[in-house]
Amino acid sequence: MKEKKEPFLRRNGARSVLASLISILIGLLAGGVVILIVGLATPSLGLRSAWDGIRLAFFGILSTGRDALGRLTFGFNPVNIGNMLFRATPVILTGLSVAMANKTGLFNIGASGQYLAGTCATLFIALSIPSETVPPFVIWLLAFLGGMLAGALWGSIPGLLKALLNINEVIACIMTNWIAANVVTWLFDVSNLKNLTESTKSGYIYKTTFNNVATAKLGLDRLFPGSQVNGGILVAILLAVAVYIVMSRTTFGYELKACGANRHAARYAGIRDKRNIVLSMAMAGALAGAGGSLYYLAGNTEFFWNTYQSLPAAGFNGIAVALLAVNNPLAVIFTGCFMSMLNIAGLQIKNLTGYNEYITDVIIAVIVYLAAFSLIIKLWLGGRKKKAAPAARTVTPDKADEGKEAQK
Amino acid sequence: MDNASEYVIEMLHITKEFPGIRANDDITLQLRRGEIHALLGENGAGKSTLMSVLFGLYQPEEGVIKKDGREVKINNPNDATALHIGMVHQHFKLIDVFTVLDNIILGAEDTRLGFLQKKEARKKVQELSDRYGLRVDLDAKVEDITVGMQQRVEILKMLYRDNEILIFDEPTAVLTPQEIEELMQIMRGLTKEGKSILFISHKLNEIMEVSDRVTVLRKGKYVGTVNTAETTKEELSRMMVGRPVQLVVDKTPAVPGEPVLKIEHFTVPSQLHKNDAVKDVTFTVRAGEIVCIAGIDGNGQTEFVHALTGLEKASAGKVTLCGHDITGASIRQRSEDGMSHIPEDRHKHGLVLDYTLEQNLVLQKYYEPRFQSHGFIKFEAVRSYAEKLIEQFDVRSGQGPVTVARSMSGGNQQKAIVARELDRDLPLIVAVQPTRGLDVGAIEYIHSQLVAQRDAGKAVLLVSLELEEVMNLSDRILVMYEGEIVGEFDPKSVTVEELGLYMAGAKRQDRKEE
Repeated sequence: MKEKKEPFLRRNGARSVLASLISILIGLLAGGVVILIVGLATPSLGLRSAWDGIRLAFFGILSTGRDALGRLTFGFNPVNIGNMLFRATPVILTGLSVAMANKTGLFNIGASGQYLAGTCATLFIALSIPSETVPPFVIWLLAFLGGMLAGALWGSIPGLLKALLNINEVIACIMTNWIAANVVTWLFDVSNLKNLTESTKSGYIYKTTFNNVATAKLGLDRLFPGSQVNGGILVAILLAVAVYIVMSRTTFGYELKACGANRHAARYAGIRDKRNIVLSMAMAGALAGAGGSLYYLAGNTEFFWNTYQSLPAAGFNGIAVALLAVNNPLAVIFTGCFMSMLNIAGLQIKNLTGYNEYITDVIIAVIVYLAAFSLIIKLWLGGRKKKAAPAARTVTPDKADEGKEAQK
Repeated sequence: MDNASEYVIEMLHITKEFPGIRANDDITLQLRRGEIHALLGENGAGKSTLMSVLFGLYQPEEGVIKKDGREVKINNPNDATALHIGMVHQHFKLIDVFTVLDNIILGAEDTRLGFLQKKEARKKVQELSDRYGLRVDLDAKVEDITVGMQQRVEILKMLYRDNEILIFDEPTAVLTPQEIEELMQIMRGLTKEGKSILFISHKLNEIMEVSDRVTVLRKGKYVGTVNTAETTKEELSRMMVGRPVQLVVDKTPAVPGEPVLKIEHFTVPSQLHKNDAVKDVTFTVRAGEIVCIAGIDGNGQTEFVHALTGLEKASAGKVTLCGHDITGASIRQRSEDGMSHIPEDRHKHGLVLDYTLEQNLVLQKYYEPRFQSHGFIKFEAVRSYAEKLIEQFDVRSGQGPVTVARSMSGGNQQKAIVARELDRDLPLIVAVQPTRGLDVGAIEYIHSQLVAQRDAGKAVLLVSLELEEVMNLSDRILVMYEGEIVGEFDPKSVTVEELGLYMAGAKRQDRKEE
């Protein structure tokens, strides 16, 4: 009984996708209701602004401004889409980091710390190697790999603690997050990079372009003129595909997932469980580190440092991205883009209406909240399937018999 | 009472389907007032599903349920309770830190102005306890009492709710022989007082001893209902399995060959206390024989096997497998040197429950060249290998190779493990409790497979707690008591009673070392 076409809703993947889409839709609708209430309650906004706000919340990515009559116009907007891809790059990578760890039974809440470690290593390398003597591309490559390595090392700390001392990785991750924040603060404080930067009123701003290092545009700037997009998004997509292939097609992925699903059985089968737990966390860390690295190598981003470094939001957004993607590395590409699309929509709302851009944070919050429910929604879809199944059976009794024969 | 109520509960033509499987197919079960009615079937025959239907946990697609001759609809467990149907689950549903009395009244408390009225409850429970001979200490905490007493608490819970129909789901699985005997007495006492009992089991001895009638299910289908007095164990097992079953293993005398496994002065530290769990154990297993380590649970067998298979470390001694010293070898090294292992705990060690059947079947083989090239899994090869094993070992599951292991019945999970381990075709098979929790059909099958392996020249080291299995299967018996081998026997010239004395530590031999 090979590859019998199953009804749409009975396919696991289809239900996952549908559940995530329902979460997103409910989130957007809830956001719409908030916009409506705020609009009606604020005299300066009113129903008209609320309607504009709702449309922008849903379709902000396609917004092209207002026409002469003051009406919203929609269409292909290369700046918005380019910026969306640019902002998606780091959250795709932190999302991948969380999703990969989840697949191996680990909850990587330490993506923020690993992202920061990657950021730090990348900036140090990109700004310390003189571009007069070393070609900028080589510096870029070293900075990127250095960022990944730093993330990997940072991620392997909770991995080692879990493997050797059986310390819960969630606790270790939270602690290493704050250690990373403090260590990075200290490293910038004692480094001589300060001499390289423009000193602003309350801190220092670092840009890799001080040293002529920036990610190549790879022609994407011609596709989306006027936007911040660069080759980083392609690197992120490549990494997502690589993670997908490793996890689903290779013996290495088989081992990692076996350790995650049942460490004892993996050990029994002769798989080196401790090594694999450390490797899982290190790979997750490398992905988060790559996220930080690519964001700051972009050339149009600035790392703002003052006396205290807090944890970057990209790390935590990665959890939401992974949840929405049900830990599927390929789906992470889309959920990552979706999260940054909401970000763009927020900017449009701020620019084109009287609303505060933080209204989209409310929408994101609702969606993240519902992402946790997507499993329940999935079960609910599955429950409907169960009730529908017997009816389908009675229509085709022959098939049911076939199935039973096959079991024997 | 009119004559329609000869049966207190009737389940007529019940059909219940799950995706890919028809768990109950036109099943009829009629329970007479005041009888003990056994429900017999292999693992996965549909017993639990049928009881869940009666208890309102599942809704059947077809069929009706009648109480006292009147059709009733049971939509949830509350409906079942209202109809005075009660169940003792295989795994007790008790709150460990509550007292016995609190557990009994939980969910059916009498209150006045919001305050518990325990005094009357205590009186009622005490009365019930005296009337049915259910000795319990009402003020003890559940975590402090024995499993047997916990079961009596569960029974009292049902009686306290005035249940008329009592369902016992595999009640003897967790009890000692003495406790089983006591439970049988209690069940007989209950029926004398007019209660009706449904007794779910696959243990033929108990069914023959205590039940009045037996209904047999097989693969979700109704096979028949017979009076216990008019049937035999052989007849019942034939009904249950669908063919005559060999209750005694049929085997020829062993022809031991070269030593395969040599264990010398093997010592394993305990994880629980300071002493050694296994002390200075020395023995040899030869090709073509089944050597069995017998003993009461907790006498070092688990630690011994874990150290032998590499899951734990031994502190002293030497292990030689097919001429290789594997004392400190990794698990994979042992496996490659010729050791296969049917583990004691199939959920902890034997299977990755969230993996599919086919993924589980290649658990130790996925890295071999025939299943991968350059690190990429050859899915076609895995699939066809899994299909071969499933066919050869008759592993049944909802969706074949892609069934998630967690969704399979215990017997088929064990069959999958046995299939995987035996197909590796290695010179040594370490089988720990290979038939625990299985029904007669599966036990017969696994026993015959082990004997076939022996006859094919494999060395089999069997660790078992079941004396019947030990006597039946082994060519040589070693008794382990407190981590030491205290006796070596030929099963043909030793009695169960004699073995029992060694297992309890009352006797020991001076064994000359090989």
